[in-house]
Amino acid sequence: MTFSLTLSASDLLLLLPELFLTLWLCVVLAVDFSFKRIVQEQLAYLTIFGVIITLACLAWFDMTGITGTLFGKMFVVDRMAIFFKVMILLATILVILLSIDYVHRFSLFRGEYYFLVAMSALGMMFMASANDLLSLFVTLEFATFGFYVLVSYLRDDMASNEAGLKFFILGVFAAGLLAYGISLVYGETGKLVFSDMTGAAPTTGLVIGFLLIFAALGFKIGAVPFHSWIPDTYHGAPTPVTAFLSIAPKVAAFAILLRLFLVALATFKPAWALLIVAASILSMTYGNIVAIAQRNIKRLLAYSGIAQVGNVLIGLAAGTKMGTDSILFYLLTYLFANLGAFAVIMAISNSVGSDEIDDYRGLNRRSPFLAFAMLIFLLSLAGVPPLAGFIGKLYIFVAAIKEGLYILITVGLVNIVVSMYYYLIVVKKMYINEPLDSSPIKTTGPLRAVIYVGLAGTLVIGIYPQPFLDWAVAATLMFSNLIGPAASLTPPVTPFGG
Amino acid sequence: MAEYTLLIILFAPFLGALALIFVSNRQVSLVRGIAAGSAFVSLAASVYLFYAYDSVKGGYQFIQRIEWSRQLGISLHLGVDGIGTPLVLASGILLFAGIFVSWHIKDRVKEFYIWILILAAATIGVFMSLDLFFLYFFYEMSVIPMYLLLGMWGSHTKKYLEMTDPEGLKQRDSVGFIFNFGANSKEYAAMKLVLFLSAFAVAALMGILLIYKFSGLNTFDILILREKAHFSGPLATLIWLLIFFGFASIAPIWPLHSWSPVGHAAAPAATSMLHAGVLMKLGHFSIIRVAFEILPETTRELMPIAAVLCIFSIIYGGLVAYYAKDTKYVIGYSSSSHMGYVFLGMAALDYISLSGAVIYMFAHAMATGMLFAMAGWVYDQTHTRDIPSLGGLSNRMPFISAAFVIGCMASIGMPGTVNFIAEVMIIVGSWNKYPFQVVVAVLGIVLTMAYLFKMMRGLFYGSMAEKYSHSHDAVAVVDRMPLLIMITVSISFGIFPGHLYSVVRSGVDPLIARITKVVPVAELPMNIPQASTPTMPQPAPGEAIAKVTSR
Repeated sequence: MTFSLTLSASDLLLLLPELFLTLWLCVVLAVDFSFKRIVQEQLAYLTIFGVIITLACLAWFDMTGITGTLFGKMFVVDRMAIFFKVMILLATILVILLSIDYVHRFSLFRGEYYFLVAMSALGMMFMASANDLLSLFVTLEFATFGFYVLVSYLRDDMASNEAGLKFFILGVFAAGLLAYGISLVYGETGKLVFSDMTGAAPTTGLVIGFLLIFAALGFKIGAVPFHSWIPDTYHGAPTPVTAFLSIAPKVAAFAILLRLFLVALATFKPAWALLIVAASILSMTYGNIVAIAQRNIKRLLAYSGIAQVGNVLIGLAAGTKMGTDSILFYLLTYLFANLGAFAVIMAISNSVGSDEIDDYRGLNRRSPFLAFAMLIFLLSLAGVPPLAGFIGKLYIFVAAIKEGLYILITVGLVNIVVSMYYYLIVVKKMYINEPLDSSPIKTTGPLRAVIYVGLAGTLVIGIYPQPFLDWAVAATLMFSNLIGPAASLTPPVTPFGG
Repeated sequence: MAEYTLLIILFAPFLGALALIFVSNRQVSLVRGIAAGSAFVSLAASVYLFYAYDSVKGGYQFIQRIEWSRQLGISLHLGVDGIGTPLVLASGILLFAGIFVSWHIKDRVKEFYIWILILAAATIGVFMSLDLFFLYFFYEMSVIPMYLLLGMWGSHTKKYLEMTDPEGLKQRDSVGFIFNFGANSKEYAAMKLVLFLSAFAVAALMGILLIYKFSGLNTFDILILREKAHFSGPLATLIWLLIFFGFASIAPIWPLHSWSPVGHAAAPAATSMLHAGVLMKLGHFSIIRVAFEILPETTRELMPIAAVLCIFSIIYGGLVAYYAKDTKYVIGYSSSSHMGYVFLGMAALDYISLSGAVIYMFAHAMATGMLFAMAGWVYDQTHTRDIPSLGGLSNRMPFISAAFVIGCMASIGMPGTVNFIAEVMIIVGSWNKYPFQVVVAVLGIVLTMAYLFKMMRGLFYGSMAEKYSHSHDAVAVVDRMPLLIMITVSISFGIFPGHLYSVVRSGVDPLIARITKVVPVAELPMNIPQASTPTMPQPAPGEAIAKVTSR
């Protein structure tokens, strides 16, 4: 393997978004240290400004079609990486907005909070571009590193500390599994880059190695049976961090999973498809059934998140171009609905000081806007038309039925009904039950902004998904040579009659 | 302009709901005005649609096709045939009437009208969808508003209120309240309705996905699938069963009916009207649109299932209605009993009987709409639905009691109402194939008389309890108008059914010709008034023969 350490100008161009964000992070940190009296809000908007410029840069990449690889294929910039990076940065902006009214709860280190959030985002951007086993390990740990601190940011809160510790211990354990898996795979194949491994013989070591890598990634996305950290961590972590944790690392890990399974392991699809099917069925069923018994809205969303990951895994089990499209699209719909729901949760917890579902009683009377927004977000998560989540689910099911995954789809469909029950329980509290305390709930500007973005995303994608579908389809063109019908590419049937 | 009729009918309520979001809840008259205005636009356009539909030409008309997703092969493909047209009209009428029936709602008026407009618009959307995806889209979309309408503006049953403490918090909020069969709270009814319908809807969705996969056409378009997709063997049977039972649950066919009366009882009056009037017809309509159109051969083989189940529907529903003590339970069970007639008409797969079934759907929408509206009025006045404790109300509300008699007559199928024509067509049309069921159906009519007269006597005649002496009649125009509209429609189509009949026949003829490969007899079936002769479906014989030979 040749490894070039010289960087030309065009190579630097590929790294531009990451380089800029790194520099900007230093700026944010420097500003925080230099101006002791700076208002934390200004720091937040400063960070958002940098993230938006990075987004603009990515948009420019996407439009002009700038792609390429760096460092001997370790780092790849293609349209799929750009898609994932855009999602991660979008989530970062929304999470920073969510944090503005929360940061006053932290006793110390307010400035560094934004730095850490953006740093995790940077790590996840690298994850989206990771194209070999080494960069996989480094970027994954880089991204998780920030989260270890963020989760236990409420220093005086026992739950937050417990969450941090649990996350840290299990995270380090997963990192160990990952490193061991990588060493096994490298020992068996002598290759590090995903695309070089395609023809490898399925030896025992290789199989175990990949299973270990899958376990580590399964930990990141929170698929059953690697989910055990999720409920406590989500519950204890500061709510904006929970919101971030519930979407960004999953998005980034799915970028790696797609590259790993559809590029490196493309030839073993029948074998790993079974593994994914099992993980998917377990995640959906376990997540949804346990969510029914939850009394705390953050825990409810934690378990529903496990179930949602099970849904996304259906697309991976299909293992086709269309399956990949559906994963990208689904994650996009999930991003808006989930972050929107967390914005409502924060608005309520800022005012009521609790995350118990019982305190959502009569929300419709206290704040019709918040209740309506929560209704839309929860129904989108449940997959009810005309909201984005329904199109996402349907797309995944269509991709899967083309591969004949009937059992998986049946389980998925049954789970929609199960999930509807617990989402509707929350709706019942909000709309049907009378409030115990009927004082209106105040929302602040940044939270409203996040809710508006979430509502817009959920409704627009639900009613007119075509541009977003096109974007997802264009992002995964590199997978168009996959086995199975390339349905997305067939021309539409000529209309009959009118 | 004319080609946009369907879009106007469909989107007027949606836009009304959208406009309502920006209106304050305090401007009650503006809220009602917007709701009534958008419902009126939809109604006017659907009346136009009904009379502009060319029954000589037949087939799908007013087609609109807007591409929605290339990747999935979905387009917003709208169009109506002779089966969809009267149902769209019925939805328009019931929505408009429902807005006025709920004129006196005080709590969260704006939200109430938003959800009822969305419910009606989604229902209308199903009746005009020519794309499987959008059929499911609108179908599932109509379920969620029901949850909120039942939960927020509904009422508990008497038994439930007796069982819980005044606060009732513990019992209503336990996780297991869904399994609490003893007492039907409105929350229980709403949750049962949504879960039941969603569970069967996903079965239908599985059927739709199987159609999508095995047709190999990469499209959800019903018209393309009807022409080009062929299914046979166990696969066709499986798809048909999924589609049939998936959609029949909302119809509701016995034994999948239990959510329905519970839901009726909990719902506010306007919601019950839409629920019994049009929502239940989504089931029959979707079966006709999907199973009859795409799987004609399998339909011919398997439709006897419906003929068997409809007996239980008719008898069981009728008997429960006879013994029920709650006005809305009586009407609710009578609705599920009457839906058995529609299934009988569909199962016979005959020109006359299927036309009768479609007309019955229209007729039943009017009759049951009236009954629920009046049950709602009585409940608003007396705050009880318990028949034994009521009585003698005709002194206090002469208009309502007179209208109630007409509603019962229509529901029974007295000559002069459109229900009579529909019933006779179903009975005559299915006699050849299912004589036993016809006997049951006729006995069912007797049963209908028994429970409706019993309820009528219990509510309006006999002695009145003192505490109801403050109740008053529907005097205002807004209160009388919805009932008068439905009575007028029911009677005028009962006397002049010509256009309705020819429209329905133009939709039924090609369908039955495809399924049974029997050419329709080009003569008048029975006592249909002569007015309909000139507009009889002319192209039926030749076209049907051509179609039969081509397959």
